[in-house]
Amino acid sequence: MTSTKTELAIIGAGPAGLSAALAAAQAGVSVTVLEEYPRPGGQYLRGVHHNQPLPPLTPAESLGRERLAQLAHPKITTHTGTMVWGLENHTLSLHGPDCPPKVEAKAIIIATGARERVLPFPGWTLPGVMTLGGAQILAKEHGLRPGKRVLIAGSGPLLLAVAAKLAQIPGTNVVGILEATRPGGWMAHAPALAGNTDRLREGWHYLQTFLKKKIPYRFGHGITQAGGEESLEGVKIARLNRQGEPLPGSEDYLKVDTLCLGFGFIPNTALTQVAGCELEYAPTRGGWVPKVNEHFETSQHSIYAAGETCSLDGASAALVKGEIAGLAVARSLGYLTVQDFQEKFLPLKRRLRPLRRFGAMLNTLFTPPVGLNTLIKDDTILCRCEEVTAGEVRAAIQGGATTLSDLKNWTRVGQGPCQGRTCGALLAQQIALETGQNPQDAGYFRSRPPVKPVPLESLA
Amino acid sequence: MVTNVFVYNSSEAHMKFLQKHPVRLLKFALPKTADVVIIGGGIIGAACAYYLSAAGLSVHLVERHFPASGTSRACDGLILLWDKSGPELALGQESIRLWGQVEEHLEEDFGFERSGTILLAENGEQLQAGEKRAQALRESGQRAEILPAGRLATLEPEISPHLAGGILFPDDLQVDPRRATLALLAAAKRQGVKLQAESEVIDIQHAPGEGGGVRGVVTSQGVIATPRVVCAAGVWSNHIARMVGIDLPTRPRKGHILVTARRPGFIHHPLLEGGYVTTVESAHDARQVALVAEMTTSGKLLLGSSREFCGYDRTVSLSAIQELATRATRFLPGLESTPIIRSYAGLRPWSPDGLPLIGPTRVPGFYLATGHEGAGICLAPVTGRLVTQMITEEARRPEAEVVAPGRCL
Repeated sequence: MTSTKTELAIIGAGPAGLSAALAAAQAGVSVTVLEEYPRPGGQYLRGVHHNQPLPPLTPAESLGRERLAQLAHPKITTHTGTMVWGLENHTLSLHGPDCPPKVEAKAIIIATGARERVLPFPGWTLPGVMTLGGAQILAKEHGLRPGKRVLIAGSGPLLLAVAAKLAQIPGTNVVGILEATRPGGWMAHAPALAGNTDRLREGWHYLQTFLKKKIPYRFGHGITQAGGEESLEGVKIARLNRQGEPLPGSEDYLKVDTLCLGFGFIPNTALTQVAGCELEYAPTRGGWVPKVNEHFETSQHSIYAAGETCSLDGASAALVKGEIAGLAVARSLGYLTVQDFQEKFLPLKRRLRPLRRFGAMLNTLFTPPVGLNTLIKDDTILCRCEEVTAGEVRAAIQGGATTLSDLKNWTRVGQGPCQGRTCGALLAQQIALETGQNPQDAGYFRSRPPVKPVPLESLA
Repeated sequence: MVTNVFVYNSSEAHMKFLQKHPVRLLKFALPKTADVVIIGGGIIGAACAYYLSAAGLSVHLVERHFPASGTSRACDGLILLWDKSGPELALGQESIRLWGQVEEHLEEDFGFERSGTILLAENGEQLQAGEKRAQALRESGQRAEILPAGRLATLEPEISPHLAGGILFPDDLQVDPRRATLALLAAAKRQGVKLQAESEVIDIQHAPGEGGGVRGVVTSQGVIATPRVVCAAGVWSNHIARMVGIDLPTRPRKGHILVTARRPGFIHHPLLEGGYVTTVESAHDARQVALVAEMTTSGKLLLGSSREFCGYDRTVSLSAIQELATRATRFLPGLESTPIIRSYAGLRPWSPDGLPLIGPTRVPGFYLATGHEGAGICLAPVTGRLVTQMITEEARRPEAEVVAPGRCL
């Protein structure tokens, strides 16, 4: 296949990408959607194709499903199983079984979502320890149970969603949910709840499920160690103080075969980086994120970043953000008059405001407490690709490394296939702890093409 | 005024900096002194620091970011002789001998391997040219073995069968340039070198008028009083030299490298295609590409090489990495399905006649050690030792004449 041209290329077919595609296509724009996974929908709408999603659906899931069903729009071409590994001069480099090698677009919307944040502790690399997302893939995509006795731990609302889904799988015993943060200070955020009844109802529903199934949901608790011969057999848990440090004497042992972990998300900024978009550090939006205007256009003309990529505020917000970006592209390409655009944009903007407030609140409340880092021992592996331990990293920091770039130079961190996607934020935190500087001063791993591993022949 | 606490003459640039960063003033209250200040913490600066401190001099090394954060981590680690001739070959031979000593002397492992290299010939013409090089090298006392296609295929089974043959140069070496830089610096530190990282050179103080010598180096972390500066800042040397009124003819030349997923044992020697020398010697602005394939200690392959002039832009260009990929599949078809996990680009200091600029300049006390382009890793030890000899000995060494900066300043 030869290179093709399109008006709008959208990278990622999750809630934001889908919404952007439909908004633009309905206005008349020709859209090409590029999705890395074999099916559109992203992590959030995963598994709805099987027609056996685990009920009930949240309002965002229902809306997302509706939009997914409309993806067959005549103005939309979708390439699934297609990875975008480079972006230069409004041209995307692709790798996939049946896609053109390049797509040139007048406008580009990057909706590559976010990845999971992990925090290591002794034993975190044992088989049986997985991320919440990994457990979700098993449950949603394959209808499989991740294990028999499952413990859910970490921080953030995803713990609840995953626990509720897993609890419905026959033969799975969710033995508990350990939330590392504590509910103190929540009331200060009460105003952010306004206009988010959907999210509150969702939370209420989860809590009811746990009550009914007798699943304990404990705040201020975390894992201190995972153990087992060849795979996970049990974990040590402990009460955590407000800083997240385990309280001596509070340790307990739980026999489990599966541990699902998650500490929130990190926006995927690799493609925005190679496109030359400026990033900024915004903790309430998830850390390093592209700078965007209210239409989600980045510092690069006609390159947009929508959805979780530019700010972590959940799927409901992603649906709106994508729609705004799609409409903005339609306007910039002349398919919508300024007046038409404003008519559509203003109500969306109003709807987005409470959603983003809620998102920022969650990001603040569920920020993994810094004290959890005390669990990282010198022999704990931080960079899994290159098997670099925390001890090596700390020695480098004491030797004068103050940025991720320095660390990459001194040790081998970030030089493996994941290019620091997993360990980047962890290492920044280590530098901050050892030197007393702010995590943003450590910078981030610079992305270069290919942003993900690509076979040599696809590059050639 | 607060700046009065400061004992050295401050230039205008320095004053401006201090006004912007008043906190840094505190550091200026304690003046530092050194026999030599080296600017640049790459492989050349590290080697200079190693040899100068071994000679008993007190040395300060100032690095803008972090050791090996520039060109020395964005290159391959091949130490070649067959691409050199005449005086450069002599320097290379000496440097290889010194690399062997360094390897023995340092406790750090920096991936040093007497791997040899293989020059690949796609046709009879290239093979003949290679044989000529082999002959020339033998006359200079180096080993070289002609490899007919069959023998090449035995040594390197993954090489494309269309090749006419190759030449094995068993004396060539391989190091991990990043780790070699760090190892040399660690040894230098043990010998007393003071490393000042994350520290930018703002100005070089020198006595006024023609023939005025170096007096000190003004950095973002204070002033170092010194009668000698070694500028080993690679492509950024132009900026440093301008501080003493010298315009360098060197230019940044960008090179790209691809890194594959682990394929341990895929090749057994570093491989370079016959056209490599042409790209090195070419001064065309357009991009030159020739295959260089090297196995790293972690089992990943580095695939190069490209050379092009595009200013100080260090971003990876898609067209460049595509050309590299095409080249690699032509010579190593078995790599087609191997994932490329990342890429990088580095800027190498190109010099007009292909030889580095090493030695004193018309500003007394200001020494240059730059312009090595792709031969920096190879020539680092000999550069460090030459600079040391020039500083510690009165008599000029004849072998240093060919690299004397005066020839192109």
